[in-house]
Amino acid sequence: MSTYVPPTTTAAATTTTTAASTGEGRSVDYTCGDCNAAVSLKRGEPIRCRSCGHRVLYKQRTNRMVQFEAR
Amino acid sequence: MPPRPKKTGPTEIGDGAAKPARKKKEHPAPAAKDDFSNLLEPFYYGKSLTDPINTATDKWNLLPAFLKVKGLVKQHIDSFNHFVDVELKKIVEANRVVHSDADDKFFLRYTDIRVLKPNRIDEDIKDMKYKESNITPNECRLRDLTYAAPIVVDIEYRRGNKMVRRKDIKIGRLPIMLRSNKCVLHGRANRDMGLLNECEIDPGGYFVVRGQEKVILVQEQLSKNRVIVESAKGIMQASVTSSTHERKSKTYVILKKGRLYLRHNILNEEIPIVFILKAMGIQSDHEIILLVAGEDTVYQDQFAPNFEACTRENVYTQQQALDYIGSKIKMTRKPSGYQKRNYQHEAIECLSTIVITHVPVFGMNFRPKALYVAFMARRVLMAMHDPTLVDDRDYVGNKRLELAGQMLSILFEDHFKRFNHEFKVNIDKVLKKPNRASEFDAYDHMHMHGNHLTMGIERALSTGNWNLKRFKMERAGVTHLLSRLSYISAIGMMTRISSQFEKTRKVSGPRALQPSQFGMLCPSDTPEGEACGLVKNLALMTHITTEDEEDPVRKLVFILGAEDIVSASGYEIHGVGAYVVFVNGTPIAVTRTPKKFLTDFRRFRRIGRMSEFVSIYINHHHNGVHIATDEGRICRPLIIVERGRTKVTARYLKALRKGTMNFDDFLTRGLVEYVDVNEENDSNIAVYEKDINEHTTHLEIEPFTILGAVAGLIPYPHHNQSPRNTYQCAMGKQAIGSIAYNQFTRIDTLLYLMVYPQKPLVSTRTIELIKYDKLPAGQNATVAVMSYSGYDIEDALVLNKASVDRGFGRCQVFKKIAVQLKNYANGASDMINASARDPKNPNHLKIGGDGIVEVGMELAKDDVYLLKSTPANTSVSSFSGGANAYGGSGEWRDSHSTYKLPDPSYVDKIMVAENDNQTRIIKIQMRQTRRPELGDKFSSRHGQKGVVGIISPQADMPFSDDGVTPDIIMNPHGFPSRMTVGKMMELLSGKAGVLDGSQQYGTAFGGSKVEDMATILLSKGFSYSGKDYLTSGITGEALPSYVFFGPIYYQKLKHMVQDKLHSRARGPRATLTRQPTEGRSRDGGLRLGEMERDCLIAYGASQLLLERLMVSSDAHEVDVCERCGQMGYQGWCQGCKTGEGVSKITMPYAAKLLLQELASMNVKVKLGLGEEFPSG
Repeated sequence: MSTYVPPTTTAAATTTTTAASTGEGRSVDYTCGDCNAAVSLKRGEPIRCRSCGHRVLYKQRTNRMVQFEAR
Repeated sequence: MPPRPKKTGPTEIGDGAAKPARKKKEHPAPAAKDDFSNLLEPFYYGKSLTDPINTATDKWNLLPAFLKVKGLVKQHIDSFNHFVDVELKKIVEANRVVHSDADDKFFLRYTDIRVLKPNRIDEDIKDMKYKESNITPNECRLRDLTYAAPIVVDIEYRRGNKMVRRKDIKIGRLPIMLRSNKCVLHGRANRDMGLLNECEIDPGGYFVVRGQEKVILVQEQLSKNRVIVESAKGIMQASVTSSTHERKSKTYVILKKGRLYLRHNILNEEIPIVFILKAMGIQSDHEIILLVAGEDTVYQDQFAPNFEACTRENVYTQQQALDYIGSKIKMTRKPSGYQKRNYQHEAIECLSTIVITHVPVFGMNFRPKALYVAFMARRVLMAMHDPTLVDDRDYVGNKRLELAGQMLSILFEDHFKRFNHEFKVNIDKVLKKPNRASEFDAYDHMHMHGNHLTMGIERALSTGNWNLKRFKMERAGVTHLLSRLSYISAIGMMTRISSQFEKTRKVSGPRALQPSQFGMLCPSDTPEGEACGLVKNLALMTHITTEDEEDPVRKLVFILGAEDIVSASGYEIHGVGAYVVFVNGTPIAVTRTPKKFLTDFRRFRRIGRMSEFVSIYINHHHNGVHIATDEGRICRPLIIVERGRTKVTARYLKALRKGTMNFDDFLTRGLVEYVDVNEENDSNIAVYEKDINEHTTHLEIEPFTILGAVAGLIPYPHHNQSPRNTYQCAMGKQAIGSIAYNQFTRIDTLLYLMVYPQKPLVSTRTIELIKYDKLPAGQNATVAVMSYSGYDIEDALVLNKASVDRGFGRCQVFKKIAVQLKNYANGASDMINASARDPKNPNHLKIGGDGIVEVGMELAKDDVYLLKSTPANTSVSSFSGGANAYGGSGEWRDSHSTYKLPDPSYVDKIMVAENDNQTRIIKIQMRQTRRPELGDKFSSRHGQKGVVGIISPQADMPFSDDGVTPDIIMNPHGFPSRMTVGKMMELLSGKAGVLDGSQQYGTAFGGSKVEDMATILLSKGFSYSGKDYLTSGITGEALPSYVFFGPIYYQKLKHMVQDKLHSRARGPRATLTRQPTEGRSRDGGLRLGEMERDCLIAYGASQLLLERLMVSSDAHEVDVCERCGQMGYQGWCQGCKTGEGVSKITMPYAAKLLLQELASMNVKVKLGLGEEFPSG
């Protein structure tokens, strides 16, 4: 069979935007995979724990409400 | 099942003999480093320190002791350690000096090579002396790094007129096998494993390359440097594949028309054997015939015609023979200039270094090699005389297993040679220049190709392609991704052996079960179908040898009174009662007392004067004593029996249990020894102690070790029909359960976990030894064997809805999405563009402030989970002005990622990290929790698989007097034809164990006895047969017959309906053919195949056929010209320049495509048109 070419999904994939990085200053909190310290990173900062230098960080769980369906 | 109030005394368990009930160990572990883990050691399972010891039943205690030091995957680790510690140094030793063509005074010598501890690539090795790197294998898995350690060398070289020494120069990085002696996990206590995010049960033996776990599978090959006699197409031949570090070649001695010839690739034609022997310095015909045939007149008569060649070719002396051979050598390089070829020189060169290379020629002493050729010739003569003397290629003793260490060794050697070559070329380039600005320092050039070595090894490991020019080796599929479907699948992969035979050949020999693989290879564990019998698995107690030194063994041979064969004549070698001693296939000595020699030699081995892996055996057919020290032999430990008594007595077993002796002590004391296949077949081995007689030499440690780790899971396998065990071996690897203790810290691409795994009620010794009971994959289901509704025919199962609600068969599926933020050559890189979040777009709702989906959210179809932007301009050449920190021209293109699966998942974990090249990686783990549904696949441990046919409400299920309802109802028709008696026994033992509160065993060739189980059942007020009185839940009446009822361990297999469910009405089409796409992942159509088409044709449903194959597929309207039969367009024929007679027809687009493709190949296809509804 010939290779399948997926239909172009969304128009967004081709629209070009100029780098409108408005939220440049915002930082997001992560958790260090080694020492469990909270690390807040801004955009473009190297991924590294400030206290132990570990390079694996995890995103913290959302504080939005999540509803599960128990079955 | 609720326990009955009655309580009986000790139950009988274990392998045949009565033992008191198991107690948990009360005594603290004897002086050992890790107190708590000792309590958990399988060693103490079933016995407390104070229990009496009986050698006949307790010798199995040796098995856990063995598994502590060897076995399972330890052979991989041993092999890798041998490579790093010994082989690496040998390779460097062989390629020690680098000279320069330009300056003959220059040299560089490697004095040592070492592999350091693993570290990160950006850590300096100079710091490692003071502080060890804190890298862990799991960090490498998460960050997509290679778990590797620097290779450093010490060098001395010439700089100007001085000699310079330098130490610790890094030449590359070597991926490190987990749990090898260079690994950070080596020597760490089990309790530390959690700190390192590693699983203490994980066996190691694999590599982490670019974040992936790679295993080098064990490769099976015909042994090197051994003579094999076979008859190929009626031609008798003896062949030997010589393999040394320098060269690999194959030499044949063949029998053609009653004459013996030597054949080799380097020679243009076959050369009479007599010429070869003459050229090697055995000039007299008398000596030749004595060496080959001895005094035996039959052999002499057979060999005598070979001398006719001498008179025919006029070759009588060594010189003449060398001239003759020299003239037949293939020209490899073009003759340089007008120099005439010196045939004698070439012949000597060829004979000494190319023919049978593994027998070295020192100082023109061709005698050993001549003897080797003579022996090959003799073997051919013998096989001709007695065809039973032809060797069996499939005999396991003629095979060698290639392990990770050996594969890496040839890989490293090749890369190191290339490294040296490139280094030399570089030096030459500099030294050629007449005057240099500064003094030449070779050290500066050393770092220029550091990466080649690293990358070469890394690439080979990650792709599995071993392409070595020097050995003309092109092997693909050497490494495999370690299957982490379940713990068992990982273990099963580490013990797997792949064969080099082609799968297509229709010979049954290599696939058949060989009697010689008893105890070495598992008889049950092999795949079905194509690779059946070619892919094998190691048995539980096997070890694969590493290479041992040959010289000390050689010396010992002479010390034991054997005479050097070089000084022996044909009379002595082939005389009556004379036995030739072969070391690794090469004859070195003659002895007249082979039996004494053998026992003496074994005694030396048993007292530990040489490696325990050196094997010796007598071959009475060839009058030879064979000693083997080479690598890759399969061997296993056996208890030594002397004078009808086992050497292992209760005293030693007591010491073993107390911890004052370990397995190696048993070896050095000569109580136990390793025996390879050849030696095993030269021994009389008793299976049980009662079978020992005056001829017995060894005693099995435990009969169930003939099975492998995967087959060891089956309870009572000796009561099952054998293919059922084979089926279970395949299915055990697909069972969902626990993977490892660190299963939640590692982010696998695909991970199946069972929510409530249970350890089996009916266990086996193997289960405890490989610790399957700590990482189980299944649940103990209460099974009623009865017919229920119609939803259980053909192996379908009925599930209890209440059990499912309470978590039976519930599993979690984790999927990983990994995204790399690439860095481009022009300094630009991908970025996560949080500002692209559109609050009005409902698909963007779950995205957080950083442009990544929030952890814990439910992702449904078409939800966006990552807002990624790629720079529009990634080329280097284009004018980009001042590239800022994010490079490019500031133009960005959105490439957001959307969730595409039809079933929703929850975001479980999101990891961000950087890999080696400072590329950001984001790994999103998603989780689905699935309860069993109709069509999910379950299987017991006896090759009895079935799908869920109906999930029945508990109220409708039958119940027993105690109110127990089954979790699973299985149709009794599954039993008669499959003959899985083991499954019935498992139910019986499981039921007895549950009622009694005891652990029951179904160990192969042992296990709890049915009779004892029946007694327990009776004492608890149940029927001895395991059948219960049940009441129907539907009618409330008693079932008309008693029902076989009890617990059976059930595995949930990875095949689930949710992953396979697929339907489509309309959907995407392939671009080329315009037919519907194929496969579920592409939302493809359901194919009406050839056979279905045949049905429609046979039935005559032509309109349906047309509708299925064209209208609903790729119908296409074309204009066809009636006149020329060609396709036109828009009602116009371009060929006839007319619109007349052009009519529209509908045809499959694929047919139209075919016509055009044919036209492009200059094949004209004419379409003839007719009336659709002819008037006549």
